[in-house]
Amino acid sequence: MDWIFLNKVWILTILYKSIWGGIAAIGFAALFNVPARSLFHIFLFGGIGVLLKFLLLHFGANIALASLIGAIAIGFLSIPAAHHKHTPPLIFYIPAVIPMIPGIFAYRMILGLIALTGNVKSPTYNTVLLETINYGLKVLFILISLSVGVVIPMLLLRKESVKDIKVPFVKKPRIS
Amino acid sequence: MDGLRTSPEEVERKEMADVILKTGTLLMSAGANTGRVRTTVSRIAEAFGYSIHLQISQRAMMLTMLDENGSSVFTVVRVIPHHIINFRTISGISKMSWSLVEEQWTLHEIHEELDRLEQLARFPRWQVLTMVGLAGSGFCFLADGSHTDLAFTFVASFIGLFVRQESIKAHFNPYVSVFFAALSASLIAGAASKLGLSDSQNHAFVTSVLFLIPGVPLINAFSDIMDGNVQNGITRGFVAFLISFSIALGILTTALIYQF
Repeated sequence: MDWIFLNKVWILTILYKSIWGGIAAIGFAALFNVPARSLFHIFLFGGIGVLLKFLLLHFGANIALASLIGAIAIGFLSIPAAHHKHTPPLIFYIPAVIPMIPGIFAYRMILGLIALTGNVKSPTYNTVLLETINYGLKVLFILISLSVGVVIPMLLLRKESVKDIKVPFVKKPRIS
Repeated sequence: MDGLRTSPEEVERKEMADVILKTGTLLMSAGANTGRVRTTVSRIAEAFGYSIHLQISQRAMMLTMLDENGSSVFTVVRVIPHHIINFRTISGISKMSWSLVEEQWTLHEIHEELDRLEQLARFPRWQVLTMVGLAGSGFCFLADGSHTDLAFTFVASFIGLFVRQESIKAHFNPYVSVFFAALSASLIAGAASKLGLSDSQNHAFVTSVLFLIPGVPLINAFSDIMDGNVQNGITRGFVAFLISFSIALGILTTALIYQF
């Protein structure tokens, strides 16, 4: 095994970040009062999401794409976890995906929006405008990536996952 | 009306409607997406051989019970109580909806289980506060904060959540509570750079309020819209936007006070 890779600082930084990402996920899990038996999985999935995101960012991926892939991974992981722990998958994926929400970008966007209410003739106005649009679009696309990415596996596997549950329950055509 | 006599079927149908509405309103107020509420409730009704029509909105749930011929017997509406996110309830109801099919529960047993699920224990308050404080530090670390920043965000998130809980207890409007929480958290975290203990990039200041982000309404908004429950999705999305706006307002007030 190439443990020598661990000498590279960026790998260590990303690992630390994923551990803290897992801790952030746990915080939200406590806030949402998840069943105690799912806490470890949430920590793990939160960490994995952050790990994937920062790895992709390191290799030059777009931040929205990196978040999307992290979210899809979390979505896929929560399906087997749901069967294993007997809880619906949303209990895993909602807290796990939250550490990837771009708080700093959102803050800069709002600061920019406020600055844009100032004098149009000021020399920095154009720069601020461009920056604000940039941060705003980043926030928008990351949020969409996270919310949709986490549901994509459910949409793809919905039928299978219901069948996987070991209950002798024949699905009839749904009412309503 | 043929007198005051009620047939046993009618009584049972009423009880069934009660169970369905109770399950649905519990799920909805605990933070489940609309598709989940619909699926779970339909599963319960099917298990007892009833056909139903459902209309679910954010504040109320409407149910029509059908008879064997598919004509409606009666329609009931129940108000959904205040939304307090509780994933333990969602998990318990999901489990119940499967085992009641498998083990052929009676309506009475479901009632008892729902009563139990309604009063499930939460994590002790100090634990939640500590974990949310650590989550604040986590956010700060993800945004490249220094160790001083981590310590400040821990304290800020801890106290911020405490303020939010207390304001909700004091019956403040939920958005006002979020504003108070964001204000107090960012005031504490902002002190780090104000006192010169941290660099000027304001990492602690910004990440200290991230524990307030409306993750559940946001993600549910998208899953609702993609499920076809567009109205509920839009409502949830708007709620998420308003909460974010309150956070922004709190943090900007701090920025104004500290002259960042």
